[in-house]
Amino acid sequence: MLSLETLKQMYAEMFEVREFEENIDVYSKKGEIPGFVHLGVGQEAVQVGTIHALKETDYKYPDHRCHGAIALMSSDKKAVMAEIFGKATGINGGRGGSMHITDLKVRNMGNNGIQGSNVVSALGPAFYSQLKGNDDVTAVYMGDGTLGEGACHESINLAATWKLPVIYVLANNQYAIATHYSEAYNVEQLAQWADGYGVPNEVVDGNDVIAVYDAMTRAVERARKGEGPTVLELMTYRWQGHFAGDPAAYRPDEEVEYWKGRCPIKKLKGQLIEQGVTEEEITAMEDKVKAEIAELIDYARKSPLPKAEDAMKHVYCNREVEVHNV
Amino acid sequence: MSRGKKISFSKALNEALMESMEMDENVIVIGEDVAKMGGDFGITQGLWHKWPERTKDTPLSEQAIIGLCTSSAVCGLRPVAEIMFADFCGVCYDQIVNNLAKAHFMYNGEATVPVVIRASTGGGIRCAYHHSQCVEPWFMNVPGLVIVAPSTPYEAKGMLNAAIRDDNPVLFLEHKGLYNVKGEVPEEYYEVPLYQSKVKREGTDVTVVATMMMTGMALQAAEELAAEGISVEVIDPLTLFPLEKETIINSVAKTGRLVIAQEGPKFMGAAAEISAMVGEELFEYLKSPVRRVTSEDVPTAYAPVMEDFVMPNKDKIKAAIRKAMED
Repeated sequence: MLSLETLKQMYAEMFEVREFEENIDVYSKKGEIPGFVHLGVGQEAVQVGTIHALKETDYKYPDHRCHGAIALMSSDKKAVMAEIFGKATGINGGRGGSMHITDLKVRNMGNNGIQGSNVVSALGPAFYSQLKGNDDVTAVYMGDGTLGEGACHESINLAATWKLPVIYVLANNQYAIATHYSEAYNVEQLAQWADGYGVPNEVVDGNDVIAVYDAMTRAVERARKGEGPTVLELMTYRWQGHFAGDPAAYRPDEEVEYWKGRCPIKKLKGQLIEQGVTEEEITAMEDKVKAEIAELIDYARKSPLPKAEDAMKHVYCNREVEVHNV
Repeated sequence: MSRGKKISFSKALNEALMESMEMDENVIVIGEDVAKMGGDFGITQGLWHKWPERTKDTPLSEQAIIGLCTSSAVCGLRPVAEIMFADFCGVCYDQIVNNLAKAHFMYNGEATVPVVIRASTGGGIRCAYHHSQCVEPWFMNVPGLVIVAPSTPYEAKGMLNAAIRDDNPVLFLEHKGLYNVKGEVPEEYYEVPLYQSKVKREGTDVTVVATMMMTGMALQAAEELAAEGISVEVIDPLTLFPLEKETIINSVAKTGRLVIAQEGPKFMGAAAEISAMVGEELFEYLKSPVRRVTSEDVPTAYAPVMEDFVMPNKDKIKAAIRKAMED
């Protein structure tokens, strides 16, 4: 049973994830953030519920729709925001951006621009933990679209066969860009696939942060005990299009409205109020988060651009790459 | 120290793995049938018996193999993966090109990925186009990777040891036609440095740059042409990418003539890059056009008569050298 203090903390964090994403949306549309960004508005419970069940030394592979979660787990939130803005102060010096944020101090092993690619990466730290006899688990985040990639199956099968401590956190937000999962798979629930590999699996309300936390805790315990991987299918919905600016005309309005009605943040707020937390207290938490995010944005915007020639760095270890066209 | 007898290229590779695993408990060997069976070509024999936890048979899952290697290297291991045939790199191309090659860059220099991917490469085994390709051009356009291709047993052992100690990801290509070639190989641990081209025979008239099977053929061609009064210098780059250019540049500046022999198809092969480099840097030194001896631009056919027609060989190298001398 989660304490009221923990629930309040989870609320503040879900609010933070949303605020983080919505600010990115604003500055992406203003043209201050290069390239494109994938927003996880509506999926906050997936991110907060799972992270709460992990410890800092567990290995994390977030996905491309996880900025808020990356910031939450990070060693330096300002540097995460600055990375998304492509600045010198970015956590990866501006060489990765929104889709390639790593933070080894807290074992964020990095998100990825290619679906399925990270799902096999999860095998490495999990194998390392097993070989060295420590109890760190590896959580890899993926979506319903990701599962179509063959790499996922190689990963789940090998983790199952070798009993590697991996938790496959599959946020089923129902659309791979414009394709609904029912048009892409011949099963009712994607978690069913795990049955074929002899892997325990659960389908969970991904908009209920407590349910997500409980399921993740069960999966993490199994992994720590050496009982192998789990596939969690967390049913949720992304409120926005695939990327910031995608009008998502491929989805029925009623469906979007239905899911906005199942807002994970609103749900937890209701639970907090039932337990006696006041509206004022909640507003105060929200204001604190808003101020904090405003600071991150301010820091990122004011940060200097990277030195152009730093593009040549870190291609090889202990070797320089020459500039051809001076 | 000499052991009084020559050993094969395969045995030399096996010794490197044995010594590297002995020296460093973070070295693991992983792949299809590398453990109990000792590898499809026998290169990993004996490792599993000594280090069962560090020698791992996998399902037929090349993406999982390379993914596991890349990310466990970030944690601190030095994995050596075996991709049974280099052609199968197509199955895990994403992992090699998008994750392994870019990991150091992605981590902003804070992590290294000391992974070696050993892969048997090249034709001549009469097994058609899924077991015969020279894959180095598939990867030479991918900054972050190191591509190594030894051509003697001495280099095989020393370069595999060096590749395992190197902090960069190395695609280590082993030509199947070389596995049974024997040579002098020290018994003890040693390294042959990566990133260095090697002059294998000195000469003054024509420079031949050759790799893997082509190196032996070029040396033989040079020997035979010496009788005709043509002095051929033979260079083996050994590390194809990033290429150490100076050795080649200095040689061509001296000879003024260049023939490049590569086993794979002509278009966009390593020979094309070396040729462009010499064109850019040594135009005024050239006494004749750069010539390339390569396979035809076709998949490798199964029937021996067809495969032989397509592949480069010693006679084709000799013909190109003679032509260079006629200009």
